Amino acid sequence: MKLTNGFDISSSALTAQRLRMDVISSNIANADTTRVKMVDGKWVPYRRKMVVMEPIKESSFAQMLNHSMNAGPGEGVKITRILEDRSPLKPVYNPTHPDADENGYVMMPNVDILKEMVDMISATRSYEANVTALNATKAMMTKALEIGR
Amino acid sequence: MNLLNSPAMNLLERAMDAAALRQKTIANNVANVDTPFFKRSDVKFEELLQRELEGTTITGYRTDPRHFYIGGKPLIQPEIVTDEHTAMNNNLNNVDIDYEMSLMAKNQLRYNVMVQQINHDLRQIRTAIEGRR
Repeated sequence: MKLTNGFDISSSALTAQRLRMDVISSNIANADTTRVKMVDGKWVPYRRKMVVMEPIKESSFAQMLNHSMNAGPGEGVKITRILEDRSPLKPVYNPTHPDADENGYVMMPNVDILKEMVDMISATRSYEANVTALNATKAMMTKALEIGR
Repeated sequence: MNLLNSPAMNLLERAMDAAALRQKTIANNVANVDTPFFKRSDVKFEELLQRELEGTTITGYRTDPRHFYIGGKPLIQPEIVTDEHTAMNNNLNNVDIDYEMSLMAKNQLRYNVMVQQINHDLRQIRTAIEGRR
């Protein structure tokens, strides 16, 4: 069956965008978190996380078969890993903070709320686009059921 | 006498197959709208069919089924082409979501038209079978 795979493709993207949204939520929630883990007796603050998206590769046999038959539009998208942003942490002068160093600076997470918000809009819009694609596939299949009525 | 195997019906079936494949391809493009380095694909069918119908290509006469096709296969298959040479975003992705969405709407309408046409043909056949009663 050729058409049903359209569902799988769109739903893989829905899953991916939802996971991306979860990661963004985690970033916003932890925008002020200074204690993630202890390294050498010092607390390390939260680092911004981001997702890595990749097109789903078919298994090697299906891939070769499809390649030789010149068919197969791809299998959707998946998130292969969640990376930490290596950009520098933000030092904030706050001597009363329990995690302040001897100069009174606290290393705050490298989360930029503005960036996260924009990312969130992008994820929402992508999610909506994929819902539209899914509905379009569904409408086509429903229409196909009318053949021969 | 072939009732359901007329050339028009065959063509409609193949065109619907192509439309279904295109729907899948566009869904894949939309799914990968945020994937770095992804390049969009499209299904070529109507252009190939048009070229075939215009008859501008020379076709070789085959006397043996093992012979090569000269001037393309007689049965046109939908072809998936990937656009490798453009970039839309900083991450070298070239999916334009507005374009994909309008393409999808167009494809859907085309599919509906073909379903309607097949239904029409079937209704005519049914009329011929049952007669006016």
